[in-house]
Amino acid sequence: MRDARIVSRRFDIPQIHTIEVARNHGAYEKLHWAFALSSDEIITMIHESGLRGKGGGGAPAGDKWSLMPLNDSRPSYLVVNCDESEPGTFKDRQIIVKDPHLLIEGIILTCYAINAHHAYIYIRGEYAPFQQILQTAIDEAYRAGYLGASADGSDFALDITIHRGAGAYICGEKSALLESMEGKRGHPRLKPKQKECEWYFGNPTLVNNVETIASVPFIVYDGPMAYRAFGTAKSPGTLLFAISGHVERPGVYEAEFGVSMMEYINRFGGGIKGGKKLKAVIPGGASTAVLTAEEAAGATLDYETLQSMRSALGTGGMIVMDEDTDMVEALKNLLEFYRHESCGQCTPCREGTGWSDIIVHNILEGTASSTDIDRLLQLSRTMNGQTICVFAPAVSMVIDSFISKFRDEFEAKLRKDL
Amino acid sequence: MSQVTITVDAQDYRVEEGSLLIEVLIQNGIKIPYFCYHEALGADGNCRMCMVEIEGQKRPQIACDTIVKEGMGVRTKGENINGVRQRILELELINHPVDCPVCDQAGECKLQDFYMDYGLYDSHIDMRQKIHGKKHVDLGSNVMLDQERCVLCARCTRFTADVTKTHELGIIGRGDHARVSTMPGRKLENPYAMNVVDLCPVGALTSKDFRFHQRVWFLKSTPSVCHGCAMGCNIFIDHNKAKYKEDTIYRFRPRRNDAVNGHFICDAGRLSYKALQENRQKEFELGGDSCTEQEALEAVKTAILEAQNITILIDANLYNEEIERIIVFASGIGATVLCPSDCYYDESFGDTWLKKPWRAANIEYINRTEIEHRLPEGSVDLLISFNHPSSKTVDSRLKIIFATHQGHKADILLPISLFSESSGSLTNIHGMTQHCEKAVEGEAPDLIRLVDMIEGEL
Amino acid sequence: MSFVLTPKHLEQIEELKGRYPSAHALALPLLWMVQEQEGVITLDAIDCIAPYCDLPSMELYRIATFYTMFHLEPVGTYHIQLCKTLSCALCGKGEILERLQAKLGIKAGETTADGRFTISQVECLGSCGSAPVMQINEEYHENLTPQKIDEILEALE
Ligand SMILES: Cc1cc2nc3c(=O)[nH]c(=O)nc-3n(C[C@H](O)[C@H](O)[C@H](O)COP(=O)(O)O)c2cc1C
Ligand code: SF4
Ligand code: SF4
Ligand code: SF4
Ligand code: FES
Ligand code: FES
Repeated sequence: MRDARIVSRRFDIPQIHTIEVARNHGAYEKLHWAFALSSDEIITMIHESGLRGKGGGGAPAGDKWSLMPLNDSRPSYLVVNCDESEPGTFKDRQIIVKDPHLLIEGIILTCYAINAHHAYIYIRGEYAPFQQILQTAIDEAYRAGYLGASADGSDFALDITIHRGAGAYICGEKSALLESMEGKRGHPRLKPKQKECEWYFGNPTLVNNVETIASVPFIVYDGPMAYRAFGTAKSPGTLLFAISGHVERPGVYEAEFGVSMMEYINRFGGGIKGGKKLKAVIPGGASTAVLTAEEAAGATLDYETLQSMRSALGTGGMIVMDEDTDMVEALKNLLEFYRHESCGQCTPCREGTGWSDIIVHNILEGTASSTDIDRLLQLSRTMNGQTICVFAPAVSMVIDSFISKFRDEFEAKLRKDL
Repeated sequence: MSQVTITVDAQDYRVEEGSLLIEVLIQNGIKIPYFCYHEALGADGNCRMCMVEIEGQKRPQIACDTIVKEGMGVRTKGENINGVRQRILELELINHPVDCPVCDQAGECKLQDFYMDYGLYDSHIDMRQKIHGKKHVDLGSNVMLDQERCVLCARCTRFTADVTKTHELGIIGRGDHARVSTMPGRKLENPYAMNVVDLCPVGALTSKDFRFHQRVWFLKSTPSVCHGCAMGCNIFIDHNKAKYKEDTIYRFRPRRNDAVNGHFICDAGRLSYKALQENRQKEFELGGDSCTEQEALEAVKTAILEAQNITILIDANLYNEEIERIIVFASGIGATVLCPSDCYYDESFGDTWLKKPWRAANIEYINRTEIEHRLPEGSVDLLISFNHPSSKTVDSRLKIIFATHQGHKADILLPISLFSESSGSLTNIHGMTQHCEKAVEGEAPDLIRLVDMIEGEL
Repeated sequence: MSFVLTPKHLEQIEELKGRYPSAHALALPLLWMVQEQEGVITLDAIDCIAPYCDLPSMELYRIATFYTMFHLEPVGTYHIQLCKTLSCALCGKGEILERLQAKLGIKAGETTADGRFTISQVECLGSCGSAPVMQINEEYHENLTPQKIDEILEALE
């Protein structure tokens, strides 16, 4: 595995979160050069780099940027998604704490390209201490003239405002996030029938994940080909993969797409904790299908491979479970999460998350009946594809994968109490 | 608007371009289950019951969020789509008690309808594990909430948010703890509040006024028009004649008319059915003592023949036909017809939506006749009042009053039927003439019949 | 009405208004100000802030009941929020909870009689790499062990 650090390149430099140190290491240095480029030129670079959204969906960023109207009478906005609430995911936090000026520079470039003069960073409420660090960096950038009426002496005006969430996983979903920012409950919106940008108070808006935006400076300054030098054809570049659970060295380590999952777990994660055997890995945040140890052994960390395994790369936050893990307990834990976090708008999700939690509870308590596992699968089918957002289908995928891959453990619980 | 052709279950329909698929289905009588969509409130997309299959789409789509397009192929039936609906319905029922026989909504509950239509496979629901909501929440304005029956369609909350803009109701909490509520300690309190009972597709919101007084399947509905004010909101009179009892009105319900009241009526109008049936004038009276119809008519004839001058007061709630009949009658006996109308005007009752300060259903028809709105001037010899509320303020030698309700003092008192006991038309404040059907069989005679008989005697 | 915004908050509100296309966007910031000031969100306070974001009180109440970080009931001076989600559960959250409950003599979801401590179990805090994790008010405490719990609580005594 070769070293592949784009976003985390400056993470280890002491005090890099301050503007002086960041500038000594190249921050904002080439902004004026970028301002000589046209919007189209920058958007083309993003297209060519193949950059995919790093918030979980993996949508090509260039496509999304192209949906933004450049000559609209309404103001355009960039909203940076720092809701980071997917269990197993804690990477965006590293960026805002360790190298906030990288994110700010990415925001400046992105806003310049899509002709937005105000960017919002929606940050989960729990991240208050990290929000403080980011706000300090933004204040520094204002004072240094990179933000405000004229960014870096150009005629490009830009403001950045941090908007604090208040504890709701669903607000990471982009339309729920925008609802939340409009002063409402975080209910995902009905999806438009055709491809279009997002809307904030009726104004064209681009929503991207923190890491997506933090990847922009590298692509613009070093060129799309430098980015494509990493990763695979379909998953170009790198990701701040994260690893937690039963490993020796949990944490966030950037790697290029396409590396072997086990190699990653062993090299960065230091292998399974206490030298135990691996049982399962949830590859990309809780909302992706669990993989067995055998599957993990054959997995590579890219969108296409994990998709072909009927799972997903998601946020790249791996949760590792050793041989002693009770998979029924693990599913119960996740179902409690989903039950707690469903926005409650649509019937299949509101009732389905609650009911499946109750069924697994009964399985654990020994009060379930022999048909309950199939009921659970039936429920999961109802949650798939009939809801406003993909929260419920994700729950469905999680349930299906746990049961199909670890059915014997579920059945053992039933038998024990027969 | 241009038209497009769509195919629903292999049949072609010409429909307006840009309309919502669910509307098209409803208007064409194609059966589709739904909770959250309502023609007056629009789509919210939360119940997921209105799923249909659309050609070229992988997954079922909700009809309330689908705009019709030329050539669109829609399937509302079939094993697949029925299965989808059945499974969603089952989830809807997870936290819903299935005790329809004791529910007030039974008979007009969408959940019960759909439940019957789709059936449910063995659901093994352990009631003890259901989330238990509060069963009898008094929301205010006569509205009771049973949280366990609520399917969270948000119709009631959208009504107070978008229609009345009074914002008393809201869905609070998250996930399966979400529930309808007012703010703690606050009430549902607006002049249109009880419409939420009609909007609620299930038995979660019920009217304290109507609760458990009657099972809905015993009721007959007759289309009529509210007499609470000059707006002329369209209503159904729901009534029933139990054995050995009088035909009784149990409620007024809004009847949709987009040109007048849309889907709604005000609470005052809705509740006006009660006072209507109380304190009825049932007897003919002469000098305060009851008499026969024949005696009363005889006395009226004599009074008219002996009168020096005659003034007629006419209530602005009478039907057009009744007013016309009285005008003809008046000219035959040389009487002046007046309708003093100050007593009908109540500034505080009016608002910018349905409620009009003119609290008389047919004031506009009076406006369109020669009848003056004033009290009589000078001394009146004989006063004949057709149920006019100001009868007692007029001094006259002799008073004849035709009255629906008690409380009048007259030399001759004749009972007459209520608007619900006869048919006729009314002209509302915007000049629309609307017909009311006779709903219930009353005991009091019809006004026109009495006038005919009096004229015949003269 | 007993709740009033501080002059500092009023100033912040003016500044914030200029940053959004609509006053509605101030809903969350305003609720945060209330909670910062009072520790809890009262109906009184909701009525007070409603005009500043041009929303009916009911909408603000609905929002307050949607987001888990808003408290409609008071919590202890030290609000201990222990993560209960998968990575933390795998890494020993159970024994941390036991220690917290034993030390403070209350169960999760309860507040000590003196009103100083509340224990809540919360969903993933975005700190799974340093599980088990808890927040006391806004401060993160990571890589928890039962011994660490003793030290942390002692420091707060
Ligand atoms: C339930 C749910 C939760 C999500 N949470 C997050 C999140 O916390 N952070 C994030 O960036 N994207 C999240 N997303 C994805 C966003 O909807 C959106 O696709 C993303 O922010 C777009 O940015 P990207 O294209 O740069 O990834 C979530 C999606 C769903 C359905
Ligand atoms: S799927 Fe779940 S989270 Fe998504 S909108 Fe529906 S209820 Fe809300
Ligand atoms: S009370 Fe009735 S109308 Fe209101 S949300 Fe519940 S089911 Fe819908
Ligand atoms: S607005 Fe007038 S006509 Fe309509 S229901 Fe109310 S009282 Fe009756
Ligand atoms: S009527 Fe379409 S989703 Fe409820
Ligand atoms: S699971 Fe505890 S912080 Fe993520």
